[in-house]
Amino acid sequence: MQRLSFGFALASLVSATLLAFSAAVAGVSGDRELGQYLSSECVTCHLLSGKVVGGVPAIVGVDAASFVAVMNSYKKKERDNQVMQVIAAKFNDEEIAALAVYFESVKPKR
Amino acid sequence: MANRRQFLVGGGAAFASLGLVAPAIAQGAKPRVVVIGGGAGGATAARYIAKDSEGKIAVTLVEENANYQTCFHSNLFLGGFRDYASIQHSYGNLPKQGVNVMRARATVIDRDKKEVVLSNGQRLPYDRCVVSPGIDLRYDSVPGWSKAAEDAMPHAWKPGAQTRLLRRRLDAVPNGGNIIMIAPPNPFRCPPGPYERVSMMAHALKRTGRTRSKIFVIDPKESFSKQGLFQEGWEKHYAGLVEWLGPKIHDGIKSVDPKTNTVVTGFETYRNAALVNVIPAQWAGAIARDSKLANDAGYCPIKPESMQSTMDPNIYVLGDSAIAGDMPKSAFSANSQAKVAANAIRGELTGSRVFPARYTNTCWSLIETDDTVKVGGTFEPKDGKIASVTPFISKTGEPADLRKQTQAENMGWYAGIIADMFG
Repeated sequence: MQRLSFGFALASLVSATLLAFSAAVAGVSGDRELGQYLSSECVTCHLLSGKVVGGVPAIVGVDAASFVAVMNSYKKKERDNQVMQVIAAKFNDEEIAALAVYFESVKPKR
Repeated sequence: MANRRQFLVGGGAAFASLGLVAPAIAQGAKPRVVVIGGGAGGATAARYIAKDSEGKIAVTLVEENANYQTCFHSNLFLGGFRDYASIQHSYGNLPKQGVNVMRARATVIDRDKKEVVLSNGQRLPYDRCVVSPGIDLRYDSVPGWSKAAEDAMPHAWKPGAQTRLLRRRLDAVPNGGNIIMIAPPNPFRCPPGPYERVSMMAHALKRTGRTRSKIFVIDPKESFSKQGLFQEGWEKHYAGLVEWLGPKIHDGIKSVDPKTNTVVTGFETYRNAALVNVIPAQWAGAIARDSKLANDAGYCPIKPESMQSTMDPNIYVLGDSAIAGDMPKSAFSANSQAKVAANAIRGELTGSRVFPARYTNTCWSLIETDDTVKVGGTFEPKDGKIASVTPFISKTGEPADLRKQTQAENMGWYAGIIADMFG
């Protein structure tokens, strides 16, 4: 059990590192800026403070790999919220990575 | 003049995507943006321009009201799901984020001099102006109704005293008293709004045992937003309380008489209604029309890539006043458009990166406790207009837990957009 969760954590860490690396290489220095611009679509519902109100979960401070995985599962319609499905559908991989890097960098307010 | 670095980093993209000439910003002076109207379009634009330019742009928001009261969720106030204080918001956080909030009424834009003229005669010079005044009501669109009649037959389609008046009038409807809503013709603010309002009125009647009352909706349109969903909900929750009449059934709205609360249609005369709610035809806020930014239909054409006015490259029109193609006139739309415009304006004035326009909208409607539906989609510039890309809508017959979840989402969105507008 412990090994498994450690393995999972390690895998997330590795993929997060790879992601950050690939984002830095592919999107050059502008990626976080792109992520910040694209994030303006998200923050109409998701609070940038990280606070949860009603049925809208917090997305700030989420590790980039998890963010990418969740967005891709909406894109593939494995998760069934209509709003999130159409929003995820229009982002390409680079944009999802940019968003992931941006949201990971935002610290929730306590 | 833009320096070499700005041109290389962002200016080039801005000019290429917007087809503009080099910005003529005086060296040393901060570029100035004046935003007219502190609603979902204007407050968002002001906040984003100030925040993202990090002090490089002087942003002034001109708003005549001391507080903002949301039109969105005002139906929930009507139905008793929210108290009034919860839909009122202060502009107090915006100055801390670099926005100069000026409480004043803007009367006209002197486009030649690039100045916004206030009702006290003061003039605010601008490099770019954002116009987001919302809608104005067409008081002459329902025969017999007028501005003088808006207390007798409230519209409550602009928020404030009218919202509270409608609630008081609804609460005073006796059991057996009829409510008549005159629905607006297209295009109008908040397409599902009248029908969510009908639902909330029916909820209030049902909750208080006024089941001998009835709501008649006299609609000039053949069909309306989320029609199947609303009609399913009315049948399910409010059987016998709501009757919707399209133009083929009522044969036209002939006149109203505010003195006797009478509504005359081609087919029927309704006398002594307990409450008549007139939602009239609408057009862009006066300042947009008076500044010659609107077309013959009374709304403002824009470039879909940026929300820039087609009448004046120094002006951007947002929200209900704009002709935004497939996007409905909603707070969500205005907020989405504001971010596109803010990004474009910042690019023009400071040479920052300009990203392609992307627009989103969702409109939630509460039908009955924990029974909420939604409609929405994504949009992008295409063939000269803002076109729908991936629309979605709730389905009839959805399970109760999904509808409850949709209401939780609705409440979450409200908190989100308020934080996004005011910080």
